[in-house]
Amino acid sequence: MFTTELFVQTLIAGVTIGVLYALMALGITFIYSIVKMINWAMGEFYMIGSYLQYMLVVSLLGPDLWYLAIPIAGLGVFILGAIVEPILIKPMFTRSIERKDDYATVVTIALLLLLRNLATGLGGPYQRTPGSNLPTVMLGPLPQSGARVAAFVFALVAIALFYLLLRKTWFGLALRATAQSRVGVETAGVNVLRLDQMAFGIGVALAGIAGALLAPVFLVFPTNGVVTTVKGFEIIVIGGLGSIPGALIAGVLLGVVESLGAAFISSPYQNVYGFLLVIAILLVRPTGLFGERGRLV
Amino acid sequence: MATLLETEGLTKRFGGITATEDVSISIAAGEIRGLIGPNGAGKTTLVNLITGIYPPSAGEIRLAGERLTGLPPHLVARRGLLRTFQVCRLFGNLSVRENLLLPYLARGSAALAEGSARARELLELTKLTRLADAPAKELSGGQRALLQVASGFMLPELRCYVLDEPFAGINPVIKEEIIELILEANRSRGLTFVIVSHEMAIMRRLCHSISVLAQGHVVSEGTLDEVAGRHEVIAAYLGKGWA
Repeated sequence: MFTTELFVQTLIAGVTIGVLYALMALGITFIYSIVKMINWAMGEFYMIGSYLQYMLVVSLLGPDLWYLAIPIAGLGVFILGAIVEPILIKPMFTRSIERKDDYATVVTIALLLLLRNLATGLGGPYQRTPGSNLPTVMLGPLPQSGARVAAFVFALVAIALFYLLLRKTWFGLALRATAQSRVGVETAGVNVLRLDQMAFGIGVALAGIAGALLAPVFLVFPTNGVVTTVKGFEIIVIGGLGSIPGALIAGVLLGVVESLGAAFISSPYQNVYGFLLVIAILLVRPTGLFGERGRLV
Repeated sequence: MATLLETEGLTKRFGGITATEDVSISIAAGEIRGLIGPNGAGKTTLVNLITGIYPPSAGEIRLAGERLTGLPPHLVARRGLLRTFQVCRLFGNLSVRENLLLPYLARGSAALAEGSARARELLELTKLTRLADAPAKELSGGQRALLQVASGFMLPELRCYVLDEPFAGINPVIKEEIIELILEANRSRGLTFVIVSHEMAIMRRLCHSISVLAQGHVVSEGTLDEVAGRHEVIAAYLGKGWA
């Protein structure tokens, strides 16, 4: 039954989860903007972020210091990404590979399978949770899960830091320039391959942070990145590939549509509402809300 | 005068197509060299080879005796060999000032003050000061070309500047401004230029000598007036029946 209270509560839940989806989508679209490739293994970096969070909270820091585990998990995933990129992605640019897209697809799918099976082999197929002793938060008269609210707040902080990095630093200027013209930046004397490594690390770290933040909500298991990755790609289709504001707005939009659909139409079809939104956007605006046809600069 | 840039037997093959073959040129420090030839002669391929965009299939490139062959573009640039692009490769979403500061990105924040001061000078010189904070995509085509040429002068170690069609499709006023920038840098800093252009009147004003490319080979060298009357040059432009 429709009530204003339920509507507002659902809306808040949608925005909350949407921002976390957007974090994932930001990682995908950021890597695409700089390195010009789709990383199909993003969900696995999300998964690693969630495992790191679990291990840090359960074995080292304890549930009260869960917030310290978030940046450590993000840093861990960043380092992993910065190690993986020169081995798997860099050859795309340093060797004479004609179909770079195909190469990137094959190696990142191989990486996906490797990481997923490693997680299963090392930790088993079990579902784990770092737990959360955060109390329920009242937003006005409406109760919200403390873990979700904390995840939302941290996701906003991560997005704000990412924005500041891009807009207010020399490194960010180099990244923005690279997104527009790799050759142009290279011929200005900047080592684009080094930027690729950093960008890949930052992109997967965003996914890792999303995984760490959602670990108490969506649990920790070897395939827990699948759903969030699918959402990430849905967001990119809605917002437009390569558009950072598009990823943010589309993330919130997807979260809200799914939550409202689940609450007021039928909850088992929650994922369908997102896909219907994707289809609607593709029909009306095939490049996505903020995407550009043939993005060159 | 000492040789600054030289290529020896430079060849580039794309599958079965040979774009340049056995190109050997030698450009003195402080020289302004023109590179002309009909469309498809291999001029831009040669520029791409010299600046590290393409690895050569054979041959050598040296700058002041240092071997550049096979170096990636950013290392070629760091050694003082910079280029512009025929299709203007400005960063449209960055401001005009940020476009100028790009060569300083690899130098860390310590060089920032020096870079900012140099950018201010260039903005004044190019009359783009009032647009300094506007996105470069808001500039006219001519202003973009001007900014692209000016951005190269930001590179502190610039020794040789390769301009690929810097005058194509822009108005005469801005053409004059670009010409002045080139002449001033050549006079005051002794900069060496390689200029690819079809604008013969401008090439006559600017270039100390000309290399003529046809079908991937250097077919003639000399001043513009010297090469203009040679059979092989006329044949390259008009066909063998006219030579």
